[in-house]
Amino acid sequence: MLNRRDFLRLIGLGGVGTGAGFALSESTKKKAAGLIPYVVPPEEVIPGVANWYASLCTQCSAGCGVIVRVMEGRAKKIEGNPSHPVNKGKLCARGQAALQSLYNPDRIEGPLKRTGERGSGKFEKISWDEGLALLATKLKEQRQAGSADGLYVLTSSQRGHLGKLIDTFCKGYGTKNHIQHELLQQRNLTLANQIAFGIDEMPHYDIENANLLLSFGADFLGTWVSPVSYAKAYGNMRQGRATVRGKLIQFEPRMSQTGANADQWVPVKPGSEGLLAMGISAAILEGGYYKKSDRDEWAALLKGYDIKDIAHKCDVSEERIGEMARLFATTRQSLAIGGEGAASCEGGVSNIVAINILNHLGGAIGRKGGVFPNPSVPLQGKPSFKGIGDVAMAASTSRLKTLILCNSNPLFGAPKGMKLDEAFRKIPFIASFSTFMDESTETADLILPSSTSLEEWGDDFTEPSVRYGVATIMQPVVSPFYDTKSAGDIFISLAKGVGGGTAKALPWSDFHSYLKGEWKRRYRNYRGSKEATFEVFWNKVLADGGWWPSQKPVSRSLSISSRRVRGQLPTRPARYDGDEKGFPLYLTLYPQIGYYDGRGANLPWLQEMPDPMTSVVWGSWIEMNPKTAKGMGIKEGDVVTVESPHGTISAPVYHYPAIRPDTIAVPIGQGHSSYGKYAVGRGANPIDLLPHKLDKRTGALALNATRVKITKGGSGGKLVKMEGSTDERDRGIVKTVAPEKI
Amino acid sequence: MKKVIIYLIVIVIMFGVGFGVSDYVFSDRTPTQPINFSHKIHARDNEIPCMYCHIYAERSRVSGVPNVKRCMGCHVIIKRDSPEIKKLTTYWENEEPIPWIKVHKLPDHVYFPHKRHIKAEVRCQTCHGEVQWMDVVTREAPLKMGWCLNCHKQREVKNGRDCWTCHK
Repeated sequence: MLNRRDFLRLIGLGGVGTGAGFALSESTKKKAAGLIPYVVPPEEVIPGVANWYASLCTQCSAGCGVIVRVMEGRAKKIEGNPSHPVNKGKLCARGQAALQSLYNPDRIEGPLKRTGERGSGKFEKISWDEGLALLATKLKEQRQAGSADGLYVLTSSQRGHLGKLIDTFCKGYGTKNHIQHELLQQRNLTLANQIAFGIDEMPHYDIENANLLLSFGADFLGTWVSPVSYAKAYGNMRQGRATVRGKLIQFEPRMSQTGANADQWVPVKPGSEGLLAMGISAAILEGGYYKKSDRDEWAALLKGYDIKDIAHKCDVSEERIGEMARLFATTRQSLAIGGEGAASCEGGVSNIVAINILNHLGGAIGRKGGVFPNPSVPLQGKPSFKGIGDVAMAASTSRLKTLILCNSNPLFGAPKGMKLDEAFRKIPFIASFSTFMDESTETADLILPSSTSLEEWGDDFTEPSVRYGVATIMQPVVSPFYDTKSAGDIFISLAKGVGGGTAKALPWSDFHSYLKGEWKRRYRNYRGSKEATFEVFWNKVLADGGWWPSQKPVSRSLSISSRRVRGQLPTRPARYDGDEKGFPLYLTLYPQIGYYDGRGANLPWLQEMPDPMTSVVWGSWIEMNPKTAKGMGIKEGDVVTVESPHGTISAPVYHYPAIRPDTIAVPIGQGHSSYGKYAVGRGANPIDLLPHKLDKRTGALALNATRVKITKGGSGGKLVKMEGSTDERDRGIVKTVAPEKI
Repeated sequence: MKKVIIYLIVIVIMFGVGFGVSDYVFSDRTPTQPINFSHKIHARDNEIPCMYCHIYAERSRVSGVPNVKRCMGCHVIIKRDSPEIKKLTTYWENEEPIPWIKVHKLPDHVYFPHKRHIKAEVRCQTCHGEVQWMDVVTREAPLKMGWCLNCHKQREVKNGRDCWTCHK
């Protein structure tokens, strides 16, 4: 029977069995989950039910209204605000990706003070009180030393009350140097409209009702001015009307996303867009299509423009110019617009003036489907053309004592020739209120980080508007994630620290009370208010996302006279640096739809988003016509070095059939040396190739300004793209016809 | 040979015993809560309706754990001297939430809206057991997919057997 040994064995095995069974059961049990209640429930929150808050998108300067889905205090999704007159419920990829700014792992989490060498990136954490006191003491000392005007405040484009607050701060302190700088600011467009029409604000282009749209290098479906609003209008122009499908003709050396949508894409010679507009105008007069009383004046003004010569210079046939002129003048509701291609080069202002003249001769001004005036924008007087050039100048002459940066990153968007980095080294004290550690903020001595647009109050007066005034409100949809403050609050606290006139100029307790007070004033001054009290009004504004009380188009008229534009016209194509022999190719730079002016590069969603024309992701590329590339023995994906008289970059080549063989194109936005883990060390910054060519009057940087040469080899990333082959292998899938044959 | 079979039988039996002990004696059906809260006292003896405390059930996916303020709404007066209520008062004074342990758990891939079930007039007790008799809440229903579907079938729920109704 059972001996002692067997008995012990059985006990042992039984024990093992029990243990194994117990362990298995325990391991399958789920970890006890907590069920944590609120101590006191927030008023607006129902767990599991989303709240949508209306606010403002700040990813570019278009000023779209957004609604943000918030669940239990976390922002989850951003969509366009359906009742907002600018974007009408639509939103672009950059707007959607604003969520990733909020949750970005590379945000500056609290105030920092530099400890290492300037630019070494070594900082120590300090408290807000300490940081504000440090800057306030600096400013106090500077003012006592009599150099209050040595304070420069460099911010991004601020049309709302934050901009006014900063102006007030500067005025109270004793400086006039609040400069709003962005790489793509449309300064040339503003000045050209000022010259041609005598208006300070951008006009409204009625793309929605246009039957013929001539676009001179305006990528209005991608990045130009107000892309969401224009894309919506374009949809209507093409498909929204029962009787007519508007026609789009795009003039640009490199096919943009907009060019790809056009009926005709005309690859004009780089820099000759303005001249071509003059050619078409001249052809309108020559063809006798323009019959108004001021006909002779214009004919006299345009006398020197020989169509044959222009055709040669623009690389567009004479007949084609004549045909364009006929179409433009005889089509009812025709419109011409000029974008970066025309405006962002030497003589960019005159190119846009030329396009305005074309609009006049085609009868587009003040007519349906044409150019309309916008109401004047509140808080804005005459547009200021002070720019980054003034900062560089002041810094290099040691006039600049203290620089405050606020979400402006001039070091990324400045060509080497400007020597801005050297100028920055001469600035005795730099403070940055930026949200992210970018190239410029890295040089700061003190960082007082501001919150993202989803965490703070603000507002915006849209420009260009939609023929009536639109004010958008920005409200915090979540509480700040980190130890950051809103930029307005930082300035107000700083003013209190500085004391004296500065503190008196900014008497408010915080930015919210200032903003609300200013809106209250507007509410009182507006006669047509339907709401009984301000609180009712204010709640409605917060619910709607803004205020657009009168939706009646402004009653003003636009006019242009030959007298005003005399001497402001383009006479030749824009000059490009570098001689043709040494540098055989034109360089054209364009803002990529995701990275824009570089600010989108730290958001992985935008890096991951395939470029609409090339499908490339996560990097830079150089667009070359396959003919040119093959002639040089360059395969797609080969890394090449691009050299201009001013600098070099290297990146892989993309064979792009929709670009002139004598031109290469590089997207702007990559090649950051600092801007968080998703942006750093990725691609190349083509701004390095540009000459230091700022428009004398507007201070705008010319993006189309230099010739380049290409040599094989160089260091650069791999070309990663979504598409397979672009070759249709003689299957005739997409049939194309050269424009000359139409 | 015979011995080996006996050994195996013993192992299997004892495995079952071990599993059972873990599952029943150390059960997660009836976790120990930070405060010895009795649903019986509240829901049965004092006849407080479920949704007086679980305030979001009609409006949201979740029914909502009562917030501490709601408990204090009554207990600022009632039975302040009981040791369990003193625990509650401590949480309230420290402005801390009560770390309750979840009894009725569903995996993340299940979408279960309380709102719809209450609209369909399913009694709370169908899933949560006769809570009004429980001094300590225990999980009685299996909360498995087959069990859910059974009910959906019986009640002829519209789209009640569609995958996407619950897994979305």
